[in-house]
Amino acid sequence: MRLLLAYIDPGAGSLVIQAIIAAVVSIPFFFRNVIRNTVGRFRRGVRPSGEKAPAPDPE
Amino acid sequence: MTDRPAADREPGSYRDPSGFVFRRDGVLYRQVNARFSDDWNTFLLSGLHDELIQRGMLVADAPAPLDLAPEPDAVAVIRPEQIGFISYPYEWSFSQLKDAALLTLDVQAVAAEHGMTLRDASAFNVQFLGGKPILIDTLSFERQRTDEPWKPYRQFCEHFLAPLALMARRDGRLGLLLRTFLDGVPLDLASELLPRRTRWSPGMAAHLHLHARAQRRHADAPEAPARKVTMSEARRRALLDHLRRAVSGLHLPAHGTQWADYAGQTSYSAAGTASKEAIVRGMLEAIGGKRAWDVGANTGRYSAIVAEAGYEVLAIDGDWAAVERHYLALRAAGDTRIMPLLADLAAPSPGIGWGNAERQSLLDRADADVVVALALVHHLAIGRNVPLPMLSSLLARLAPNLVIEWVPKDDPMVQRLLAAREDIFPDYFLGGFRAAFERHFQIVSEQSIEDSGRVMFQMRRLPSSATSR
Repeated sequence: MRLLLAYIDPGAGSLVIQAIIAAVVSIPFFFRNVIRNTVGRFRRGVRPSGEKAPAPDPE
Repeated sequence: MTDRPAADREPGSYRDPSGFVFRRDGVLYRQVNARFSDDWNTFLLSGLHDELIQRGMLVADAPAPLDLAPEPDAVAVIRPEQIGFISYPYEWSFSQLKDAALLTLDVQAVAAEHGMTLRDASAFNVQFLGGKPILIDTLSFERQRTDEPWKPYRQFCEHFLAPLALMARRDGRLGLLLRTFLDGVPLDLASELLPRRTRWSPGMAAHLHLHARAQRRHADAPEAPARKVTMSEARRRALLDHLRRAVSGLHLPAHGTQWADYAGQTSYSAAGTASKEAIVRGMLEAIGGKRAWDVGANTGRYSAIVAEAGYEVLAIDGDWAAVERHYLALRAAGDTRIMPLLADLAAPSPGIGWGNAERQSLLDRADADVVVALALVHHLAIGRNVPLPMLSSLLARLAPNLVIEWVPKDDPMVQRLLAAREDIFPDYFLGGFRAAFERHFQIVSEQSIEDSGRVMFQMRRLPSSATSR
């Protein structure tokens, strides 16, 4: 059932490369969020920090 | 069953087994199939449906009676809000495609907040409504499984990122590749056409060049990857953030083309311009229609006047830079009445896809009350060698009313077209023009434009020409 709904072909190569790219870009993404939240905390009230840094990736 | 008008399935709606679009009595509906009911219910109950519509990101819809469903297996029928004119990605300029790409990523971000995800990222799922891109495929959402990669990744790269990168980094005309490659620009082709230096840009390097290489490697080894690819939520977010940066970082180089610079170089004096504007406005008000096609709109100087006269305007031009400038100006002004469209009247978008019917030709989408053709005749008749009777016959197919400007041979703009070529146009004179157009139209009024040899005509299509297809 589940497979039937995925009607577009995600492509084997595309799945593999997206996992690799995601693993690489999640590192700067994580640190950017940490920095943004830290800066946000210092400038209290300037921007409401609705966005949390993502948990460090366990993988 | 018998007293209902017949249902026509839309020819482009066949790929997705979760539902399809059909028409009854000209009204557009969408059937939702039973196999999709869990995801459909989650979509409604999670609040995602309402939030996307409220934020203007998804076309609104109303529930419709289930017995309208043309095929068994339906769990719901909805009636989506009608989009005035359906346009296709190969008829958009760079920024129109870029805004559609960003909308797709925005929709994905909102979906993720509701524990759902897009199932596809087709550029054909986006239309322009009131000047803004909007998702039209209400069945594009499913529940996000915690460890699944983003399945539309490949489609997003092929439908959006590849053509945008080619336009920005190679040539603005390459958006037209989408007309040949309806499933998106193949990434190996994009990678080959892009300049070498794009290998140093993180977005292009990762999502196009490396992506193309990975596809090639896995095409040689067709068996499924040994291990199922999994991805955490944090990594999905990082990937989508990176894609967004890649798209946002693409800009067209700032130089015009012959046409986009053309608007500034008219042969009119100030008095001539004022006279032309007043005549055009008067004729359009006299016609009193709702929808207009401004053909040869360039950067939209007169499209604005058509809109002021109370029309919704499709502003068609064959020059991508002119369409791009027009779109950017409208977007900056928040104009909702004008839709710029890239198309060449001498070679309009054909009917393509399955059975040549999946994407309609431009002429088959003709829906205007009036065609406005200003400073156009000479470009087609002399610039493209189109005989005047053929031009008249084509314009008669487009709309029942015509506002057209006659540009005589001694006009400086015509002389410029003739500067480097032989004058092989003995029929290009006012009498020839009138004779050609009176085959299909009745001339309602004509007025000379002050300070110039040009003449404006308002014409009404003859009843005998209405069905001459």
